[in-house]
Amino acid sequence: MPEIFINGVPVEAREGATVLETALEHGFYIPYFCWHKNLSVAGNCRLCMVEVEAESGGWMDIACNMPATKGLRVLTDSDKVKARRKTMLELVLKNHPVDCGVCDKAGECMLQDYHYAYNGAPSVSTVPKVRATKFHELSQRILLDNERCVLCSRCVRFTREISKSHALGIVDRGDHSLVRCDELRSLDDDPYADNVVDICPVGALLSRSFLYKSRVWYLDATPSVCPGCARGCNVDLWHRKREWKLNALDPRHNACIERVTPRENAEVNGPWICNTGRDLAKFLERPRALVPMQKGREADLTAAVAAARALIDAAKHPVALVSSWGSNEELAAFKAALGTRFRTLVKPDRLAEPGERIEDDILIRADKNPNTRAAVELFGDAPVALDEGTDLVLVWGDGFDFARLPRHAKTILLGAFVAPENGHADVFFPVSVQSERAGHYTNFEGKVSAFSPCFPRPPRVVDAETLFARLGTPVAARSGAAA
Amino acid sequence: MPGRQLLMTFPVTATSHTLADYRGRGGYGTLQKVLAEMKPEQVTKEVAASGILGHGGAAFPAGRKWQVVHLDDGQPHYLCANADEGEPGTFKDRWILENAPHLLVESMAIAAYALQVRNAFVYIRGEFDLPYRRLAGAIDEAYDAGLLGERIMGTGFSLDLVAHRGAGSYVCGEASGLLTSLEGRKGYPRNRPPRLTVRGLYQRPTVVNNVETLSNLAGIIAMGAEEFKKIGTAKSPGTQLVSISGHVVRPGVYELEFGYPVARFVYEDCGGVLGGGKLKCIVPGGISTKVLTAAEIEPVTYDHASFQKAGSGLGSGGMIVIAEGTCMVRLLQVMLRFYHHESCGQCTPCREGMGWMHQIIDRIVAGDGRPGDIDRLIEISEANDGTTICGMGDAAGYATVGILAKYRDEFEHYVLHKRSRFDGRLEVPLHA
Repeated sequence: MPEIFINGVPVEAREGATVLETALEHGFYIPYFCWHKNLSVAGNCRLCMVEVEAESGGWMDIACNMPATKGLRVLTDSDKVKARRKTMLELVLKNHPVDCGVCDKAGECMLQDYHYAYNGAPSVSTVPKVRATKFHELSQRILLDNERCVLCSRCVRFTREISKSHALGIVDRGDHSLVRCDELRSLDDDPYADNVVDICPVGALLSRSFLYKSRVWYLDATPSVCPGCARGCNVDLWHRKREWKLNALDPRHNACIERVTPRENAEVNGPWICNTGRDLAKFLERPRALVPMQKGREADLTAAVAAARALIDAAKHPVALVSSWGSNEELAAFKAALGTRFRTLVKPDRLAEPGERIEDDILIRADKNPNTRAAVELFGDAPVALDEGTDLVLVWGDGFDFARLPRHAKTILLGAFVAPENGHADVFFPVSVQSERAGHYTNFEGKVSAFSPCFPRPPRVVDAETLFARLGTPVAARSGAAA
Repeated sequence: MPGRQLLMTFPVTATSHTLADYRGRGGYGTLQKVLAEMKPEQVTKEVAASGILGHGGAAFPAGRKWQVVHLDDGQPHYLCANADEGEPGTFKDRWILENAPHLLVESMAIAAYALQVRNAFVYIRGEFDLPYRRLAGAIDEAYDAGLLGERIMGTGFSLDLVAHRGAGSYVCGEASGLLTSLEGRKGYPRNRPPRLTVRGLYQRPTVVNNVETLSNLAGIIAMGAEEFKKIGTAKSPGTQLVSISGHVVRPGVYELEFGYPVARFVYEDCGGVLGGGKLKCIVPGGISTKVLTAAEIEPVTYDHASFQKAGSGLGSGGMIVIAEGTCMVRLLQVMLRFYHHESCGQCTPCREGMGWMHQIIDRIVAGDGRPGDIDRLIEISEANDGTTICGMGDAAGYATVGILAKYRDEFEHYVLHKRSRFDGRLEVPLHA
């Protein structure tokens, strides 16, 4: 462990670490654009310049490419370093449009932050800025504003080193360099492409689904887990802050997922997620089932519970199909309350859609459900097969083909979304979705991740966990208590 | 001729570049001697002992570069000749490639043997047509004669030499940009560390030397390091090919022994300024070196120490003679247009700075200069000093600061009066 000195303070550097990494790990901040801890070193923004003190006179070099060798003495905020940083930012801003007022990145833009922290002065340039393409369509999901681009090459390196699609490159040279799609490849074929929007230090790469949707300072991020596959990537669900509630305009904006970004977890997904995860709103914001029903007729929750209870009590061969989208808590509650009463099978709620990438060695897993592992640990991995003797089927969640229902079986259905089957079930319970409750998922490797609620549960919707407890309480016990 | 000669030792004829003529001058004898009698380490030692400095511009000792490569590290090594001669005013390597391509091939074979290289490359400037044809012809001849390829001259040493044409980028003349381009990627220079002799072409130890540096090797081995050191000065042994152009009576490529007086070279050997005019200044070694005024070159001799003392450098040996009456503002405009056009755009200071400087100088020349412009040019130059990945940012800065420091009054005059101090075109007769 080589010891180096940062601003005179001795710190232990990891073996093979650079000065920039060491500084950041020990709480010395050095600004940077092009450096990213998961990507190779490009060293092109020249913003992380530090001063090296040496007996033979010092020199300046970039910290991101400087090995932390024993006894190295660097200064991260000497006058020289500050002057260099200011100059570099001046140069970066020379051709930057400074259109923060209409830029989606404003509020979380590195250039904006650095300008306030290290420059703060108006532009010194008196010559016209270089004009470049605005709203260049990189893919169906991503727009590129070349004027805002600082050519840090993070996006290019991402497609080369992480997603391996090699879809992006830089064409032309000098101050008319442009990030462009490879002529023979398409960014649309890269299922991880949207990560480039996150790693873009400025507002050059724009998500078309988030474009002009909201200023980021009106949003809050709630930690969650992507249910799109068995990887269970940790994500942030961005939604409008309560104090910035919209009273006019479309009130739906107050309770919708504005965007989904990765939440870094080195053990699960690193700092990345796939495009499917970005479209989480597509799963969670389908039309919701909002009222309990008995054979298609709206019912009171208490009456529905009693009816379901009666069905359970009467059944001779009841089968439960539990959801692989249920949280660990819900699955445990089911096991505790009803596990002995039902023959329980684990049902995959979602299968890959046409065109969706099945599996790769980056993140995406073939099992498109978040909690199959925990469900299988509790209930085994017997295939979903219903014999003719089955007289009651409890279906929890999506993905069951009702054509396979035994002819005389009664059904209890727990669903979150509007579906034709809801009206045919003997008893139907609307249950909450992931963004309305807390819980945990266990991914395919056994790593447990937590998710938190960000929206209130609609009034007549129940959490599956409490519902199971109510269904598991014997009718006799309840009537006895009432008596 | 100015001083002793090492390279321009034969009369150039229609066939002097062929293998037959080269053999007639004793060609490939040194290679034979090296393969038969010397060990690789001995060759490197000899080159290091000769003290030869790189002739491409940076003047780094070639031997020291070679010694970084460990012959027993179990990796392939590569050798690459930098024939991407793109520095404005420089055309000396072109002379070697056109007239003595076999000298380069033989010297590269010797260098490859010393560095235990199996595959060597010549990265040749894309615009070089005749030089490329001559070089490609020489390589073909050498293959046919068994001087390249498998088991050269019946020994255990094999070498393949490939001439690769560039696509017209100045930055690809920088060693790491050259290798990146050779790998088939966009010619972006790379950050150091690692040095190219540690991880260069295809991430393997690679030695990149200038064509002229390499071409000197055959001579160094033939005469021995001791003899070689007797030519030139103590700190700059040997000779330098100088390509001289501009307002000079006899432009062309000359071989100068290090230590030769520059004034004598310009005024006597090259015939002085066209039309008997007065000398204003010279660009000593490609436009990336600082200009020296007529008065400044008087005491200077052609070697590294003397030029450093005068506040400039030998650079790539591309000397440009500038006559009295030349407008330095418009000269700088030409230079900055070049740097702007050639900036690869990888790192911030050069990418943004070159365009900015070009815009400012264009505005001054258009008669729209502002009082702060000259200081801004200096500030941008300083912002490029030592902050860029390769040396191009620094080079543009040196050129600009060099001219501004010595001819600031011309710039101020231009900004104030919106016109050049030197009106009209410079009248220089084409013939003396």
